[in-house]
Amino acid sequence: MLRCDDYYLPATLDEAFDLIERFPGEHRIIAGGTDLLPWAREGRAGDVHIPVLIDISRVAEMRGQKAQDGRIRLGANTTFAEFLKDPFLKRHLPVMAHAAIWFADDQLRAAATLAGNLVNGSPAGDGIPPMVAMEGSVVLESRKDGKRHTRTVPVADFIQGPGKTLLEPGELMTAIECDDMEGWGSAFEKVGHRRSLVISTCCVAALVKVDWATRRFADVRLAIGAVGPVPCRAKELEQSLIGQPVTAETIRSLSDRTAGFVRSRSRQEYRRKVLASFVERALGDALDELGIAPVSQPVHGEERLHA
Amino acid sequence: MPKITIQTTVNGRSVSKDVDPSLRLLDFLREELYLTGAKEGCGAGECGTCSVFVDGVLMKSCLMPAGKAQGTTIETVEGLAERNRLTVLQQAFHKTGASQCGYCIPGMVMAATSCLRGNPHASLDEIKEHLGGNICRCTGYSKIFEAVELARDVLNGSVPATALQEDAFKDSFLGANVRRLDAPSKVTGALKYAGDMTMPGMLHLQVLRSPHAHARIVSLDTSEAERMPGVEAVVTSADVPGVDGYGVFIHDQPVLARGKVRFVGDAVAAIAAETVAQARDALEKIKVVYEELPAVFDAEEAMKPGAPLVHEGNTDNICQHIPIRKGNIEDGFAKADVILEETFRTQRVEHAYLEPEAGLAYVEPDGTVTIHSPSQNITHHRHMLAHILAMPINKVRMIMSPVGGGFGGKEDMIYQGILALAAIKSRRPVRYVFTREESILVSAKRHPFVMRLRMGLTKDGRITATHMHSISDGGAYALSTPGVMRKHCILGAGPYEIDNVRIDAYGIYTNNTPSGAFRTFGAMQSLFATESMMDMAAEKLGLDPFEIRRINAMRDGAVTHTQQKLGSVSMLQVLDTLEKGSRWQPGVPNGRGATRDDLGGPGTRAPCTLGVRLRDTSDVAAE
Ligand SMILES: Cc1cc2nc3c(=O)[nH]c(=O)nc-3n(C[C@H](O)[C@H](O)[C@H](O)COP(=O)(O)OP(=O)(O)OC[C@H]3O[C@@H](n4cnc5c(N)ncnc54)[C@H](O)[C@@H]3O)c2cc1C
Repeated sequence: MLRCDDYYLPATLDEAFDLIERFPGEHRIIAGGTDLLPWAREGRAGDVHIPVLIDISRVAEMRGQKAQDGRIRLGANTTFAEFLKDPFLKRHLPVMAHAAIWFADDQLRAAATLAGNLVNGSPAGDGIPPMVAMEGSVVLESRKDGKRHTRTVPVADFIQGPGKTLLEPGELMTAIECDDMEGWGSAFEKVGHRRSLVISTCCVAALVKVDWATRRFADVRLAIGAVGPVPCRAKELEQSLIGQPVTAETIRSLSDRTAGFVRSRSRQEYRRKVLASFVERALGDALDELGIAPVSQPVHGEERLHA
Repeated sequence: MPKITIQTTVNGRSVSKDVDPSLRLLDFLREELYLTGAKEGCGAGECGTCSVFVDGVLMKSCLMPAGKAQGTTIETVEGLAERNRLTVLQQAFHKTGASQCGYCIPGMVMAATSCLRGNPHASLDEIKEHLGGNICRCTGYSKIFEAVELARDVLNGSVPATALQEDAFKDSFLGANVRRLDAPSKVTGALKYAGDMTMPGMLHLQVLRSPHAHARIVSLDTSEAERMPGVEAVVTSADVPGVDGYGVFIHDQPVLARGKVRFVGDAVAAIAAETVAQARDALEKIKVVYEELPAVFDAEEAMKPGAPLVHEGNTDNICQHIPIRKGNIEDGFAKADVILEETFRTQRVEHAYLEPEAGLAYVEPDGTVTIHSPSQNITHHRHMLAHILAMPINKVRMIMSPVGGGFGGKEDMIYQGILALAAIKSRRPVRYVFTREESILVSAKRHPFVMRLRMGLTKDGRITATHMHSISDGGAYALSTPGVMRKHCILGAGPYEIDNVRIDAYGIYTNNTPSGAFRTFGAMQSLFATESMMDMAAEKLGLDPFEIRRINAMRDGAVTHTQQKLGSVSMLQVLDTLEKGSRWQPGVPNGRGATRDDLGGPGTRAPCTLGVRLRDTSDVAAE
């Protein structure tokens, strides 16, 4: 049971900081509440008393999304539902729609924010691998002596370990930024005990860009979640694909190089098997989104690809 | 207590209330507005019994602080239809029999409404995706999907509204599609389950539970708890006036721990207070000194001499031994051409009915103690409670509230006694609603079994002897263990003509969560062993699995292994129907290579896929 003595819904960032200053050490920030409320239950934190809850979901400055200089800026109140519905987001961040469909269910997605997912920092947080893959960074703001301080931290650094982040007391995550991925093919693979409302046992986010003239991988982004203490980017695997022809063999050649990512202590063998095939399938699905099928031909079959 | 003011519009009516800021939207609707159509199945966003629309978007109200409702417009299941009328979707749920226990149904109706509002032409895959956040334990979802598809078709005009009417039937209800009488109350959220009931002056009960698997209670001091704000009664085993003990067959479980605790979750003491929060706070002030005792967690270990004794006064931990003897198995095995031997194990299973245990108790003016609860065994509960309360039976009343799923799990009187004591002591109505966590912690589970099975067969597939030796973990109290062992044995050798049968089942006390009744009552476990062995025997003997069963099947007039003469036996018809229905590919199971022809195809259900919505990219293109 989560208990509080007061509940505030600030409408602006300044109002939010006023409250943070008024209740130092006595408050907790709440966004969608989908991590906070289940946490305060038997078997986890049990009954928790937090004197003041500051609900930031109506802070105007934390809403909305925009494109600038090849990056996309997402207000911290962006929910997972928006990634599925919003045409702008679907176009610029296609992988987030795939991640969102696997995230919880319709109803949770309507409340749950990407920011909350990042602050929660779960090894199985489904929002993290795509953000790591897209060079995501978080915008953290605080106010001291009436002055705002802003810092921007890469997501990969921000999440330090299970549930551990660089967020300082009094700081708010006001936005998330990442590369504009318009025109990339993308995919998200996830497995858990069931389809809906399930914690990932293993998940993979993949994004690909293809050089249409040569039919080679122009760029690749690959990130892996739920198999180690923090989701991580697979840069070596990305590098080994860039410049290579789009063939089933090239993709398959990655399969025996994924095992090292599995650092979780439980279900290791299962995770290794799944991860190897997820990487293969994610790349295939991402290519499929671009309308290109990897041809099962060795490299010398390239001419036929051009034909 | 601090309050916040919530102003919202609920089902078209504007509401302004000063409430406890800790309330969730679900509590606000249920406790403040008495809109109990939204239920609390899990409290953690997993089950969907609490789904409501907030500003037109479906949300799980158990994860939403009431503060978030400020200024919003809320629609609950009660607001979908006008009084005494049903929406098309609700009528479709009624028509197809989509509501069984009904506890998930308000949430299902809401999720389905959300789906069809979003897309009046939603495909089955899309419907499934939208209902992904709502769990049902009764229907297997088929009837629910059927209902949503029917409603969709009526709403988008592809099927006439008459399709919602009850099918015509003639002289007999058998084989006819008859609508449930109680379905309208379920699809509208009007039906009151025990946890939905309130009474003036009602208190809330919470129970202190053992953190130890096996411990002696050295001392129990409730004095500080009694002085806590809002507390009206603290009950312990000292409050039991009569003969303390209940159980379906053996009355070995005290209403509240008496001198010792036997499993993690054993009820130790209870508090009735003005609010749930006050009762929980007071629980923390109860001082219990435990002396931990050696515990036993494995049934086979518990049978060994010198194992910790779960119930003192007994000479061992055997709760129930059922032996079955027919013919002479030594002779039977001597006649066998092959003898197969295998150990089979089954696990504990939680019933996970959507409705957690709940009850409401009060004392009537003439002293009658009345308890509403979703008990699956009210008459027996009444008898037991009369003994416990030392009251004549006509002064104990058990009213069966609608059961939001039971599956055997609500046969045990695990909380009704505590409620009765609290109502008597406080002289006030008392309600107790389990959390999902508490329900899983303390309610009985399906018996886990270890079964050693030996089966002898002739070359042509006839069973000559069956010998099964089963050990089951019954947990800390007997509950249904004796009956479960009996059914396990009676049905264990299967519906087969076998001259020589020997079965022994041992239900054992351990310091685990008690095992109890669960659909099939122990038979599923022994039949899992027997039927698995039949398939293994078929492989070994080169026979078709249907064939080996036909060879041994009981026929009309058969006598069961426990000497019951059967009139008609439908085993052969069942086999024929199954064989045809499954499009079975005849032959030895292990003789047809890696592929088989009878998987998939019409009539089988495809696995759920995700992302149908993503494949429709029209809006991206349109941007
Ligand atoms: C049934 C269920 C299913 C779920 N399924 C999934 C799933 O499939 N995949 C998955 O990854 N997760 C899942 N989750 C977990 C959860 O929904 C997500 O982690 C979600 O993104 C959390 O976001 P929120 O807005 O609800 O966070 P909240 O619960 O509101 O907050 C989480 C934490 O972040 C802090 N916080 C939030 N916003 C800010 C901010 N702007 N600045 C500073 N601090 C902030 C809060 O103080 C809190 O500590 C599930 C949860 C439930 C209950």
